[in-house]
Amino acid sequence: MENYQEILESGRLEQYALGELDPAARAEVEAQASRYPEVREELDALLAGLDVYAEAHAITPPAGMRERVLGRVLAEIGTAAPTAPAAAPAPEVPTMRVSASNPHVASPPPAAAPTARRSGWAIAASVALLLSLVGNALLYTNLQQTRSDLAVALSEQTRFASATQVMERRLSSTQEQLHVLRSPDEYKLVALAGTPAHPTARARVLFNKVAHRVYVDVAQLPPLPPGKQYQLWALDQGKPVDAGVLTAATTAGDGLQQMKDIGSAQAFAMTVEPTGGSAGPTLDTMTVIGNI
Amino acid sequence: MSDEPLISIPTAAEAALVRRLRARDETAMTEFYDRYSAALYGVIQRIVKAEDEAEDVLQEALVKIWHAIESYDPSKGRLFTWVVNISRNLAIDKIRSRQHRVSSRTQGLDDSLAAQRQAAPATFRPEHVGLQEITKQLVPEQRQVIDLLYFGGFTQSEAAEELNLPLGTVKTRARTALKVLAKLIR
Repeated sequence: MENYQEILESGRLEQYALGELDPAARAEVEAQASRYPEVREELDALLAGLDVYAEAHAITPPAGMRERVLGRVLAEIGTAAPTAPAAAPAPEVPTMRVSASNPHVASPPPAAAPTARRSGWAIAASVALLLSLVGNALLYTNLQQTRSDLAVALSEQTRFASATQVMERRLSSTQEQLHVLRSPDEYKLVALAGTPAHPTARARVLFNKVAHRVYVDVAQLPPLPPGKQYQLWALDQGKPVDAGVLTAATTAGDGLQQMKDIGSAQAFAMTVEPTGGSAGPTLDTMTVIGNI
Repeated sequence: MSDEPLISIPTAAEAALVRRLRARDETAMTEFYDRYSAALYGVIQRIVKAEDEAEDVLQEALVKIWHAIESYDPSKGRLFTWVVNISRNLAIDKIRSRQHRVSSRTQGLDDSLAAQRQAAPATFRPEHVGLQEITKQLVPEQRQVIDLLYFGGFTQSEAAEELNLPLGTVKTRARTALKVLAKLIR
């Protein structure tokens, strides 16, 4: 625990002497002073030193002040003094009257005291309750603040996590595309040229015969009417096989899109189909076609 | 040290005065005034500066002492310490509320400090203790700190800010000064 040497060196005694401490801290210093004679002695010396300092600055008040100040002080304490005793006997007057007129009803006075005491307790309890309510309100406000801070932090974290996931997905997709593009041995490049109706249309398919993988990469395709999608077909022995529909991003040329696996094909073609694709190609909408 | 007795040192007369005040003897107030008013007025005047305000605070202090004498505990300190602290606190409250009215606290503090520096030599009236002796014992830097803390109503942190010194320096000066003062009556 503490020892008096620490207390002497803490600077608290000086603060006490200079009147800088709040009541709780003052009480603490006083308790220490009563526990340790050394602390008591030091504190007394500090206080006495300041007293000497104060006294050294004594100024005899100007003439006339003695009468004015003493007169007002005595008037104030003099009027205060009689009112206090006067107030005290006042309640006794009705008491005496009651007991005089009806000696049997002697219970009200004893009842009054407990009531007063009880109301005293009630006031104290109310004050305590009020303080507690105020304290609770403060704590509650703090708690709410902390909760909302936490909610903000959590949602930030969630946002960050999902952003990270998006980035990871994009990265792996990019790596995959890069792998496809950098593996000419595995992937056969099939150029799809525009049909006479769409001479500027161009796209290509990357086809892995062994793994049956199909990727599509658009260079240029005519804009689609609403409710339509491009659909890729693999032509195997002259028969069209659905290879899936192109997303809007792929159609716009944003990157490679993996299509349905195709076991065997000699050519690829794209037609315009209702959104979601068709079971068979609408041949008169064929936009691009290319042989392997 | 002066060979006149210090009123800050408790005597049998002081104990008797406390008993009479506790007994609600109003004539004891007159004796109290004659014994302590110069010391209390000196402290109050040094804090509030204005003479009429000092008179008001002295009056408030005497009334407060009269009403609070029951709570004075001799085991916690001397009567002089107690009554000076009451007066000092009332005086500090006064300048604080005045500074509130002016609304610029810094301005108020600067004023009070400047006024104090100028007023200091003029208002010194060494009547009981050799003030010159105190001046000899304390170096000017220590005096300045003690004056701010005791008569300026500054806390040590505020004094550090006011004097533009590290808090540690102010604390050291205050402590050394208090020790020097304490030694004067040991």
